[in-house]
Amino acid sequence: MRGPLAVALGILTAIGGFLDAGDLVTNAVVGSRFGLTLAWVVVMGVIGICVFAHMSGKVAAVSGRATFEIIRERLGPRAAGANLVASLAVTVLTLTAEIGGMALALQLASSVERRLWMPVAALAVWLVLWRVRFQVMENVTGLLGLTLIGFAVALYLLGPDWGELARQTLQPAVPPSEGAAVYWYFAIALLGAAMTPYEVFFFSSGGVEERWTVKDLATSRLNVFVGFPFGGVLSIAIAGCAAVVLLPLGIEVDAMSQIVLPVAQAGGPLLLAVVIVGLVSATTGAALETALSAGYTLSQYLGWSWGKFRRPAEAARFHVAMIVALVVAVGVLMTGVDPIAVTEYSVVFSAVALPLTYLPILVVANDPEYMGEHVNGRVLNAVGTLYLVILVVASAAAVPLMIVTEAGA
Amino acid sequence: MIAGDLIDVEVRDADGERLGYVVDLRLVLDRPPEAGAVLAGARLHGLVVSPRTRTSFLGYERTSVRAPWPIAQLLRRRHRGSFLVHWPDVASVPSLDATRRGKGAIVVLRRGFDRYDPALT
Repeated sequence: MRGPLAVALGILTAIGGFLDAGDLVTNAVVGSRFGLTLAWVVVMGVIGICVFAHMSGKVAAVSGRATFEIIRERLGPRAAGANLVASLAVTVLTLTAEIGGMALALQLASSVERRLWMPVAALAVWLVLWRVRFQVMENVTGLLGLTLIGFAVALYLLGPDWGELARQTLQPAVPPSEGAAVYWYFAIALLGAAMTPYEVFFFSSGGVEERWTVKDLATSRLNVFVGFPFGGVLSIAIAGCAAVVLLPLGIEVDAMSQIVLPVAQAGGPLLLAVVIVGLVSATTGAALETALSAGYTLSQYLGWSWGKFRRPAEAARFHVAMIVALVVAVGVLMTGVDPIAVTEYSVVFSAVALPLTYLPILVVANDPEYMGEHVNGRVLNAVGTLYLVILVVASAAAVPLMIVTEAGA
Repeated sequence: MIAGDLIDVEVRDADGERLGYVVDLRLVLDRPPEAGAVLAGARLHGLVVSPRTRTSFLGYERTSVRAPWPIAQLLRRRHRGSFLVHWPDVASVPSLDATRRGKGAIVVLRRGFDRYDPALT
């Protein structure tokens, strides 16, 4: 498929594919406790992910190589190895959260216990990874994920005091009911949710899967700079719904059913059904992307052949890596841990790993041997470096804040 | 011997004074191709020694790579005083035993070795 239709499809997929379990849970939790006073972090996170996803897409399109292959080559085995361990740990933790999210969303739709859904969900993910073409997989989950627009519809139907929401967004302050440390802890969690490390590995490897060339740079740019911000708007709508319905009632989100409560209240069963479809596809899409990312990073570091564009027999170790990641995820979930809690931890540890993930991308995007005339310009470098400083601060503060606030309790 | 036996290893001069760590190997491709190969054979030209750190240059040893400015500055600072020493100036390499144990491996340079600028253009 070529032309404007393909471009539109790409953008829609980017919007639908932006949200994952981390975004869903963190935004609902934050909305129910802080209203929209942390919406600025979502905006900041979206700008950050746009900048770094754009860089990694550019590297893939120009050099034809995925980010982690170049990290391994340019940083050497040790620095890249440390990077691999951190990225892989966070990616598998995120995969665990996504499979848990799938099970919770399916439980919501069927009333069947979540632990019965977990192996089914993981098996479904594996079948798609094994059989379905990359582009089909991306487009289906992305487009179905668009039904999460239901949260924006619900917010509109709830008829909130828009002036109050705008005031919270534009003049953020720590709500009197919460401490400053908790506020900043959730700010870091939101940043981690918006900028989750797997996204750039997936984005650049996806570029290689789809055989991007320099000609595809404009499309990639559009997908990122139009699609992701709209995804960010949906994030804020989720927080908004929680702020309008749950915050006044003093309900703190600790279950998937509470995330969709405002939707049911505003739009009834029909809108609820639509949003549940969105929840299932968003978490499924992200489970696919995180499982692939685990395979991509490991294979690219070790020089194994990888990619869904190859038959599984030609990339056997890549597929085995993904199967192992899925087995680990289900194993962790089967211990009975709360998937919502796993998700909350996954976004904070994502924040810890962020500088390690994004520094090499910034370095590689400046390497003339790979990038030729397409090396980063001054503006992109200035923004990228500024974000790196912010990420280092957030990363250093994440664990101390987690301990001080007892994980935001 | 493989490259991994040299990289990260401590470097001392003939008097036993510590000079730093091997952070990179420089190879030149100027030997006749080996039988059946198309590319020229590689020859070890020298070692890059950094006084304070075992970490990599991340590609900033090339003078043409200067962006983003703060990162380039930071890495150059970390690696200031680095030098290239030619392979014939290396007196001894780690013994097989030391390499296997992963401890006590050192590279010793010849008395009166020359320091060269490690920058690449």
